[in-house]
Amino acid sequence: MGLTANEFTVQFIATLIKFAIMAGILLQLPPVMVWAERRIPGMMQRRKGPNRVGLFKFRLYGIVQPLADTIKLIMKEEVVPEGAQKAFYHLAPIFSVFPAFLIAMAIPYGPDIHAFGFDVPLSIIRVDVGFLFIFAVSSLAVYGVTIAGWASNNKYSLLGSLRASAQMISYEIPLGMSLIPIVLIYGSLDLNKIVEAQNHVWLWGVFLSPISFVLFLISMFAETNRSPFDLAEAEGELVAGFHTEYTSAKFAAFFLGEYVSMFVLSCLASTVFFGGWQVPFVDILKIDDAIGFTGVGALIGFMSLLLKAGFFMWVYVWVRWTVPRFRYDQLMSLGWHYMVPLGLINIVLTAVILAAIRF
Amino acid sequence: MVPVEFYFVLACVMFLIGLFGALFRRNLIMVLMSIELMLNAVNLVFVAAGRSIGNVDGQIMVLFVIVVAACEAAVGLAMVIAVFRKYGTVNTDILRLLRG
Amino acid sequence: MPDFSLILPHVVFHTFALLITIVSICVVAARHPVKSAVFLVVDLFLLAGLYASLDSHFVAAIQILVYAGAIVVLFLFVIMLLNLQQEQLKGVKFTVVEAGALLITLIGFLVVMFTTMSGKPTGLGEGSLDVAAIEAAGGNTQVVAMKLLTNFIWPFELASMLILMAMVAAIVIAKKDKKVVPAA
Repeated sequence: MGLTANEFTVQFIATLIKFAIMAGILLQLPPVMVWAERRIPGMMQRRKGPNRVGLFKFRLYGIVQPLADTIKLIMKEEVVPEGAQKAFYHLAPIFSVFPAFLIAMAIPYGPDIHAFGFDVPLSIIRVDVGFLFIFAVSSLAVYGVTIAGWASNNKYSLLGSLRASAQMISYEIPLGMSLIPIVLIYGSLDLNKIVEAQNHVWLWGVFLSPISFVLFLISMFAETNRSPFDLAEAEGELVAGFHTEYTSAKFAAFFLGEYVSMFVLSCLASTVFFGGWQVPFVDILKIDDAIGFTGVGALIGFMSLLLKAGFFMWVYVWVRWTVPRFRYDQLMSLGWHYMVPLGLINIVLTAVILAAIRF
Repeated sequence: MVPVEFYFVLACVMFLIGLFGALFRRNLIMVLMSIELMLNAVNLVFVAAGRSIGNVDGQIMVLFVIVVAACEAAVGLAMVIAVFRKYGTVNTDILRLLRG
Repeated sequence: MPDFSLILPHVVFHTFALLITIVSICVVAARHPVKSAVFLVVDLFLLAGLYASLDSHFVAAIQILVYAGAIVVLFLFVIMLLNLQQEQLKGVKFTVVEAGALLITLIGFLVVMFTTMSGKPTGLGEGSLDVAAIEAAGGNTQVVAMKLLTNFIWPFELASMLILMAMVAAIVIAKKDKKVVPAA
């Protein structure tokens, strides 16, 4: 509290602008990712991938393909299965998109902008328990999947959704455990403070706590139901899993939710383990003063984070086309028999080392 | 600031709604959910009162209440499953063996 | 322009209070258990918002993480597992004992409310959580954690035992007969 009316107005307008930019970027994700997810494996497997659709005479490496796909998807007839729980059937896509967007608000996209006597943070909402907020909200993503599967009144959907939700709940534990050492090392739950502490390459989380990074990377795939853990939509067994019965724009909404949560987890991974908006060997907080123009540092920081997140998005695609799908019992056994104990050992080890250093 | 009594009134209302559900619903799972509602009303009182008397003990109590609620839900739901398996229903009007 | 820091808490509280009341009624009155569970999630979310407005961010986050993220999912799982259908609300008879219990609680609350409200309302601002002091001690989360692991260390350890016992109990109770399904 303690806001003056003037400051309130400025922050309000700044929030609206940040919100518009963020929404713009997040909504552009599925088209770009759909294109990338067909071109990158094309490159890997020495085939062409979609390269025909273009504007007028220019093919542009098929970058317009997603637009065509989107138009096709939206023009399709919407089929609501008989015996579906209507209200929940329509709500489920919203449930799956909402948490992903909410998390996207809490990630610091750049250093604070100091302009005209106001401090504008570059995350849409600044939460002093950023970590917990992100976990709390990401645990809500289970509802979209569960309710979608249940409301479709289809046994494949239900099986897919039960698998997916059990998997997401199980892997939330190693995901949380992998980040506890980070909290111990940097001594804060505030993502901004964690990024500020990583102001040198050797202070990045990936070097200080490599086991955490491995655990986080594995649980990241499981949390977003991506291959090699995409058992929820194992097409050989379950048709398409929880969104079997969804068509048209609602199907697209599930896509949006999936890609946004992938992007958000990529951002989180780069924030926690790769210095967030920090640029290696450059003190980004001093750029503004050096150039004499406010906001340049923030822009560079933002680009830096996007680049790092983009790398993780590429890893998602890379892994999808490299590693075969796990069996369900293998998935559960990996989670509970290996990753949870490893996470516990990691926490104890980090705590002991930290105590020894500080002693 | 908002007077702390307002929070107490809200908590009372929530508690009564929860109690109503726990007493008058005939589905075991609904009863459990109503109890969760009542526990949340208590949590609200803890947080608001702790904030008002100026220490964080209220928040710590909430953490313990959440732990107990988690245990209650786990054991309660396990019992619901066991009951359903044995009697094929979770209706409390039918499950009155202990009432004689 | 009016001072936002004075009006905002009231607006927030009354909006949330109204929503919480409505959603709570929906939880209890919804005929389908899944609907109840979803309303319960919304309710917990709103309560977390209220906690956050009381400067208890840690509890707010834990509320969503544990309650909405784990406990209600458990409810949802069981409802789906048992495939419960809509409940017939008509023809439910209230017993005297039940109605009496509700009435007595109502009267008790009214008495307590009137006795507390008859005095001058205690503002949350006066003699309340010293936000500045807590910030100096490293923020709300750190203060809570400090106290939890010093003054409340025994309850904390006991709570972990309770969770362990509940886990074992839940598995034992819900486990099927070995004859029906071979141990996985």
